[in-house]
Amino acid sequence: MLQLLALLRPPSAMAGDPGGEVKYPLDAESYRLLCKIGSGVSAVVYKAVCLPLGSSAVVAIKAIDLERSRANLDDVWREAKAMALLSHRNVLRAHCSFTVGSHLWVVMPFMGAGSLHSILSHGFPDGLPEPCVAVVLKDTLRALCYLHEQGRIHRDIKAGNILVDSDGSVKLADFGVSASIYEIGPAASSGPIHAPPPAALGSSCFNDLAGTPYWMAPEVIHSHVGYGIKADIWSFGITALELAHGRPPLSHLPPSKSMLMRITSRVRLEDAEATTSTSAKRKKFSKAFKDMVSSCLCQEPAKRPSAEKLLRHPFFRGCRSNDYLVRNVLAAVPSIEERCKDANLCGCARGARCVSPCRHAAGSVVKNRRISGWNFNEENLEFDPAEAGAAEKRCGLPFHEEEDDDPADLESNSAGDGNEDSRATATMTRGSHDEKAAATGFKEVVVPQLMTILASLEMQRGMVMHVLENGSCHVADGINGCGGMAASNPGEEMLLGYVRQLEHRVEELGTEVEEEVARNARLEKQLQERVSAHKTDSSSQTSGSN
Amino acid sequence: MKGLFKSKPRTPVDVVRQTRENLVHLDLNSGSRGGDAKREEKMAELGKNIRELKSILYGNGESEPVTEACVQLTQEFFRENTLRLLIIHLPKLNLETRKDATQVVANLQRQQVSSKIVASEYLESNKDLLDILISGYENMDIALHYGAMLRECIRHQSIARYVLESEHMKKFFDYIQLPNFDIASDASATFKELLTRHKATVAEFLTNNYDWFFEEFNTRLLSSTNYITKRQAIKLLGDMLLDRSNAAVMVRYVSSKDNLMILMNLLRDSSKNIQIEAFHVFKLFAANKNKPAEVVNILVTNRSKLLRFFAGFKIDKEDEQFEADKEQVIKEISAL
Repeated sequence: MLQLLALLRPPSAMAGDPGGEVKYPLDAESYRLLCKIGSGVSAVVYKAVCLPLGSSAVVAIKAIDLERSRANLDDVWREAKAMALLSHRNVLRAHCSFTVGSHLWVVMPFMGAGSLHSILSHGFPDGLPEPCVAVVLKDTLRALCYLHEQGRIHRDIKAGNILVDSDGSVKLADFGVSASIYEIGPAASSGPIHAPPPAALGSSCFNDLAGTPYWMAPEVIHSHVGYGIKADIWSFGITALELAHGRPPLSHLPPSKSMLMRITSRVRLEDAEATTSTSAKRKKFSKAFKDMVSSCLCQEPAKRPSAEKLLRHPFFRGCRSNDYLVRNVLAAVPSIEERCKDANLCGCARGARCVSPCRHAAGSVVKNRRISGWNFNEENLEFDPAEAGAAEKRCGLPFHEEEDDDPADLESNSAGDGNEDSRATATMTRGSHDEKAAATGFKEVVVPQLMTILASLEMQRGMVMHVLENGSCHVADGINGCGGMAASNPGEEMLLGYVRQLEHRVEELGTEVEEEVARNARLEKQLQERVSAHKTDSSSQTSGSN
Repeated sequence: MKGLFKSKPRTPVDVVRQTRENLVHLDLNSGSRGGDAKREEKMAELGKNIRELKSILYGNGESEPVTEACVQLTQEFFRENTLRLLIIHLPKLNLETRKDATQVVANLQRQQVSSKIVASEYLESNKDLLDILISGYENMDIALHYGAMLRECIRHQSIARYVLESEHMKKFFDYIQLPNFDIASDASATFKELLTRHKATVAEFLTNNYDWFFEEFNTRLLSSTNYITKRQAIKLLGDMLLDRSNAAVMVRYVSSKDNLMILMNLLRDSSKNIQIEAFHVFKLFAANKNKPAEVVNILVTNRSKLLRFFAGFKIDKEDEQFEADKEQVIKEISAL
């Protein structure tokens, strides 16, 4: 009831804060942009000062290009509205939003330490210590509890969307459909995964694609009737692993390969299981942590615990305070401004892993729902992603033999590496060179599998369309009946959303198949050229030494 | 009130009655301010009751809503002036309770009792409540809550008609251009709903109010310097004019040279999205079989420019309909 008095305040031309004390002006002139702290396909995040509130009033401003964003204005509005109506200490809430030309400026609290993703990649490539993981996860769960109680599904839980302020407080950002609009984490995604430089990758859809599928729950794709709050619990489990290891499982693979791994993960992960004991570098985690994570990663949504129940899990007992984060985590990473300096260069690293340049211009904004075939169970919980790599290696997939294909390495080493593409090609060529036979085999494996996915998605789309058609007859009746009361039931909207998503996926997969085929052809050609060059080379060397 | 927290389950009717009692209490004591404990206790109680109403209407995590319970609740709710009290006192509630109250009011608009929509009947005899809801756009604290309630209320055709024919329609031209994006967009959504949902009513409104309405629409929305305002307005104009039920209005609109000039300027807008939406209206001018001389004049004068423009006018996505429309427009203009 404390807000009561605050709520009685008179209306004004300024936007209100939940607390009621601070009001943020609704015009661009009142803000001075200090520096860019993140950028994505159609949005840039700035650190800024709100001038009328004094030089200490630092905020983050996300400037969304409404011309480039494919999302329609209604979706943008729905999201802004949802964000304006959420009020919880662990949920990032916008101060206000207004338009500046064709951009929407969303003014948000500046979270001084950035996202957990950025923190991991700039100071903890192998993950946070377990007590710190607990602090972050506990606050994230509190936010999830609140959202779920409100009937909202976040749908994009990942380290990149968990922000930390300089006082150690933790907030969850980017809600619901926000992933399609606010496609990068506010004030946070200066990390390489979410920040391709617009110049180089302006039309790439890969950042989002890479950033998100790893966290996705199986039923997100498989269910035709939508998915519930338990999908968030799955992503929460993956995020727990991400925080503990520094990256989500299988993320050392480029997205297209990761997807492949997930299709075939049943076999591969079991393969990996056999070699588990030989893994030298294996992090130790408490039983409580493992137990907590595996309960989240239960294949069956109904069996996953609710956020509220998870909060009572023994793992969170005796959880440290947010100060603990300040001392043990924030002290060890550079400031967000420093991290941003090389953000653009880091971003290039993504280019290297972009299997082929993506040509869909505005398509990038739409969130990608990827095939998800995790085969997690308590026994072969994938705690060490490298093992999957080992499995892959043993299976003879050629392109990822090299250590520097590991994303963490790529991200941190890439600062001076301007031409990632050539490097990647070089790596791949080397790989192909070593396993020439496998390369052909690989192509044979990839293409049919992508075709299978394509077919499956087509089928799913067919099913959804079928449901929809039945539904729309019903809707038409409703309109005639009682002034259209039944016209927009949420289920229908959701299905429509699904259809759009699926159509988009099918489109993308189609393109990907083409690209994959084209690339294979190209690589084969290169390989032949190299082999012949190599021959000439060595023969001339031989003759030279003679 | 003593039984409130006892284990004996309350009936839906009980919950509505207690909610009303809380609201009446709030109403009587609205003069006295200050954070006295009693008042806060009452507010907490009210919050709990409204949440309870919500869970009866929507079901909770475990159970689906029970029709019989919803019927009882709805009957009791509209038997007296609970809706009025709730709307009037909404600004005094905390954020969470406001959100719950908004969802309760929204849901009640669809509840039927013996196949009648009680909410619609109640609102018809309490139309001043709509005045209150609309004025919410002037108070940013409650704008989003009142706005959401309002959009549910105008699902009833008679209520939409009331709003359309009221003086409030003129105010929407201001609300749409409020600086706050959330609120301006909310007002836009309501405006659009009013002008597209109930076809016959809309056609009648547009016919009877053609002059002032399109004057405002052209000068304040389509010619606005605000990107969002323009983009939403041109989209809405297309939706309205392309609707079969508004055919008469459309013919009138595309027979005006002033309108044509506005649309031709929008075709040259720096925003691609606006250009495309403008094209969907412009094509109607070109396709009009009985073009007035002044319209023909303008098209002929600008023929070469227009043809050059359309030659380079493309959209990113392949769209057969768009291409076909463009061909048709080019043909029409060339033939003039």
